[in-house]
Amino acid sequence: MSALLDHLPELWQGLVVTLQLIAASFAGAAVLAVLVTALRVSPVRVLRGLGTAYVETFQNLPLLVLLVLAVFGLPEIGIQADLLETAIVVIAVYQAAYFAEALRSGVNSVAKGQGEAARAIGLTFSQSLRHVILPQALRTVVQPIGNLFIALAMNTSLAAAVGIVDLTAAANRVNLVEAQPIPIFVGAGLAYALIAACAGFVTGRLERKLVILR
Amino acid sequence: MSSTALFDEPGPRARRRIRVATVLGTLAAVALAALAVRQFAAGGQLGYERWQPYATWPMWRYLLGGLWSTALAAVVSAALAMAFGLVLALGRLSERRWVRLPAAGYVEVVRTIPALLLVYVVLFALPRYGLDLPLFWKLVVPLAVSNAAAFAEIFRAGILSIERGQGEAGLAVGLTRGQTMRLIVAPQAARRVLPSIVSQSVGLLKDTSLGFVVSYAELLYSGKVLASFNGLLIQTYLIVALIYLVVNLSLSKLARTLEARQRLAVPKRRLARA
Amino acid sequence: MKRMVAALAVAVLGLTACGETSSPAVPGASKSGDLLADAPVAAAADILPGSTMEKIKQRGELIVGGSLDAPLLSQQNPTTGEVEGFDADMGKALAKYIIGEPKVKIVNSASETREALLANGTVDVVFQTYTITPERAEQVAFAGPYYTSGLTIAVKKGTTGITKPEDLDGKKVLAGANTPAIPAIEKLAPKAEIITFGTDPELMQALKQDRGVAYVQDETLLIANAQKDPSIEIVTKPFTSDPYGIGLKHGDEQFKTFVNAWLKKTQDAGLWQQIWKNSIGTVVTGDAPAPPQIGSVPGS
Repeated sequence: MSALLDHLPELWQGLVVTLQLIAASFAGAAVLAVLVTALRVSPVRVLRGLGTAYVETFQNLPLLVLLVLAVFGLPEIGIQADLLETAIVVIAVYQAAYFAEALRSGVNSVAKGQGEAARAIGLTFSQSLRHVILPQALRTVVQPIGNLFIALAMNTSLAAAVGIVDLTAAANRVNLVEAQPIPIFVGAGLAYALIAACAGFVTGRLERKLVILR
Repeated sequence: MSSTALFDEPGPRARRRIRVATVLGTLAAVALAALAVRQFAAGGQLGYERWQPYATWPMWRYLLGGLWSTALAAVVSAALAMAFGLVLALGRLSERRWVRLPAAGYVEVVRTIPALLLVYVVLFALPRYGLDLPLFWKLVVPLAVSNAAAFAEIFRAGILSIERGQGEAGLAVGLTRGQTMRLIVAPQAARRVLPSIVSQSVGLLKDTSLGFVVSYAELLYSGKVLASFNGLLIQTYLIVALIYLVVNLSLSKLARTLEARQRLAVPKRRLARA
Repeated sequence: MKRMVAALAVAVLGLTACGETSSPAVPGASKSGDLLADAPVAAAADILPGSTMEKIKQRGELIVGGSLDAPLLSQQNPTTGEVEGFDADMGKALAKYIIGEPKVKIVNSASETREALLANGTVDVVFQTYTITPERAEQVAFAGPYYTSGLTIAVKKGTTGITKPEDLDGKKVLAGANTPAIPAIEKLAPKAEIITFGTDPELMQALKQDRGVAYVQDETLLIANAQKDPSIEIVTKPFTSDPYGIGLKHGDEQFKTFVNAWLKKTQDAGLWQQIWKNSIGTVVTGDAPAPPQIGSVPGS
């Protein structure tokens, strides 16, 4: 147990980095996902194809491969960014594919009449998407998005493999010094479980609050 | 809602505008790509000697060996995770509380622990307590443990999606609960969840890249050994990414084909019943 | 359905069986045959009945804990599948001494799992830049030291202000994950920000892309890097001295004495020097250094 307490500052620092990774990449992924979803239901075929290609590509590559490629490859094409920023962008881009897929199923679940009604009162494509379809679609996907949020939180641990000292890397380093894996890894696992539990709690509340009684 | 309700088919003027925008957009994209490639080449990354090794068979033989190990790890962990997931799903649907609660607990807890952390536990923690698994199982066990929870949820959703009447009908003709599940509900649920199972398996295949951490010689780790041998870091990982993409895209395509076939099959059966 | 389940079960069983046979270990072929042709072989009387040596000899294969991605020391050559380098060849020499043939199976081990692999008998010996320390000696037995190396610092050419480890304080420093460089930097430059990557090419790329101003690594590896890549330079003499030992099962004094006797013989016969010439000597100029005194380090 003392192994855990002696190294609390390092582990805390790691947790802060993990939280930064989660928050920033979630925000990025959410924005990107809405854009990609808009592409995928848009009137223009090329844009639909673009959206589909995006989802297909990023759902079929391991995140770890993307991280390694971005960290070492991007500087070679003249894009030099901080390690943490690179990891945030990569995780956001990767996870956006999954979020977009969830959102699309949400859009598909909105009753057809809603879209027709929006058109009937003269809203344009983007207006009907913004004011009618997406708000309803978002409500139906609160639960799946919550699950994806948990997956995203878990995936941020892969940043440890490209030199970012997040909670997982910090735990690993402390274990190297102390050689007491059980308290250290259980502690780190609890921290992740706590993050996930918070996400579960928030999505539960949101779902109850946003539910549409039909 | 099908997206076509949101817009009319574009008319001649809209079509012209779309065409112009497409051309401009393509040009901009090509220009950006050219810029990136020029930068890439300026750094010497496109040099002949940096790519030549990947035109030789031994390099590919080595990487394909890695792919084989990846497939092996993925298939074994998928089989274990599915078997265990099925048990968990049935457990969660059981009428007995003492079966239902542990199964639900397992799923909810494991879902929230990163696979990498489980790998670390198997890698660093268990050996201290005398359990040091062979390398292959160090990758497969944590993957199976964490994916079992995901498969359990897929199976449960599949079973719950079967109309109540099916199960009730089974019970009404005198089958036991086990028989009803085995003969009536499970076969229908299996068809329905097939696409989800394939896409979860693609996820699992991607997860085997954690072999990178375990030093199990799967595809990504083979790339690592190769890069440390020839120093061609970026080229090697680009090739590895390409292999993953091709394999996973084919699997995803399989999932879609299955999905489409199933969609076709269902109405036909309904018709026959009516 | 029943048929499907049965088919699945058969498939799973078959694959599990495959999983066991194709254990991810790499058989060491014997390219270093010429080198090891005259390598010493133990007298039959030295293979004591009931000993670890006898067990290995009967198995016909020495199981070595090592790496596949450590250039010059233990690096797999993808074109041949063979593992090459100083550590790899020393392992083969030991196998030849016990069995009469350089038959080695390398089990890929991480620096965190070596103690466990030795303790539960998965591997017979560990050749993997295994620095002898009194703390480690409480868990494993060390024969040797068989080689001494040290950490040094590489920077991009033209970097100023870094001439000794203390200069790294407050700067971004690159180091291999799970290597002795991390505690060494923490000790000498406590305010340095340490950035870790898994492999040497990644670290080299990171250095060239300015992810850190300096790269702390074993001298041998950095010398090799500086030769291949003229854009980096080494700025200090080694500032640590790491005696590498051959890891053995804790408490197996008999085997330790045996391995130490072998080490002495390889050094006396000049084989140690030849192996050095063949691996590290390909990048470091000059004659092979004098091998370290066996048993000279606390813990050995």
